[in-house]
Amino acid sequence: MTPPRRLLQPNLLFSLWLALMSVPLGAAEKDEPPALQLKIGTILATNQADCLDSQLSKMKPQLEVIKYRCYRLIREESKKSSWQANTVFEIPGGRSLVVVPQELRNNRISLKVRLLEGEKPIVDTTVRFPNKGNFLLGGPAHEGGVLILSISAMTAGQ
Amino acid sequence: MRSHEEIKSSLGAWLDGELAAAEAAEIQLHVQGCASCLGEKARLEKLESSLKNVLETEASQIAFEPFWAGVRRRIAEEKSWRARGLDWARDFLTLPRLAWAIPVAALVIWFGVFSSWDWPFNSTNQAAVESIDGHGYNVALLREAKTKTAVIWVFDNQESEDDSATTPAAAESAF
Repeated sequence: MTPPRRLLQPNLLFSLWLALMSVPLGAAEKDEPPALQLKIGTILATNQADCLDSQLSKMKPQLEVIKYRCYRLIREESKKSSWQANTVFEIPGGRSLVVVPQELRNNRISLKVRLLEGEKPIVDTTVRFPNKGNFLLGGPAHEGGVLILSISAMTAGQ
Repeated sequence: MRSHEEIKSSLGAWLDGELAAAEAAEIQLHVQGCASCLGEKARLEKLESSLKNVLETEASQIAFEPFWAGVRRRIAEEKSWRARGLDWARDFLTLPRLAWAIPVAALVIWFGVFSSWDWPFNSTNQAAVESIDGHGYNVALLREAKTKTAVIWVFDNQESEDDSATTPAAAESAF
């Protein structure tokens, strides 16, 4: 049967090429996870008036679960981070956020996060979320409202 | 100009009217002056006549009705889902199609395992909170419905006693 043989040969060569290409790429990801870019957005939520900072328009659906009337982005900071290393972000009100990237698995990033007020820990948590995703940590009082931290991470080069 | 043997072998086709006009005329001319060919022509005509007679007399005696009844029964008979599935699989899983399935599968595996391609089912922002310690504060875990974003809300103990503090906005944090 001539036609199947004619079809099989390029397909099998293509499959072989893909398999060979996959080995070094896969090994690289397994041995050495890429560096991580962390971004912390500090949002002040109040009930004084209805408002939404234009920089937060993409986050509007996420903020809807938090029933405040006004959201303003008061600080945004990005830092490159290493795995298993502390990265400290300054948070308004004498607070700080310590982020320790734990691992990258199945394109999901695990972060250990500690929020401190001075030296006093407020919350410790470990959260796993999709690469380029985020989660929110809120509650600390600030200037008549509360602070909401948007904690996001993505592997470098994304 | 055809030889005698060639003309003799074409007699059947000539009698059946299968030849072109010029060819037929050439054969007719030869046959008129060839005793052997005339004899062959007569033999073929007799054979044709005999066959015709036999078919006309015997055909009425052949029982076609059971044959047609069987055909109608098989057409009307619905195949089982299993038979239909097997037929479909036989038609679909042809060798060229299976050959293309190999690189397609390889491509899917390559993207899924070795690249940072977002799978459709990973397109939400679904986070898993693996551990949480409020160090004496109360902690609520909320999840936004549309993007599945996780929200960790920290509030102090006094507010937890207030039954109205069901949403973060109501639970004005004071630490």
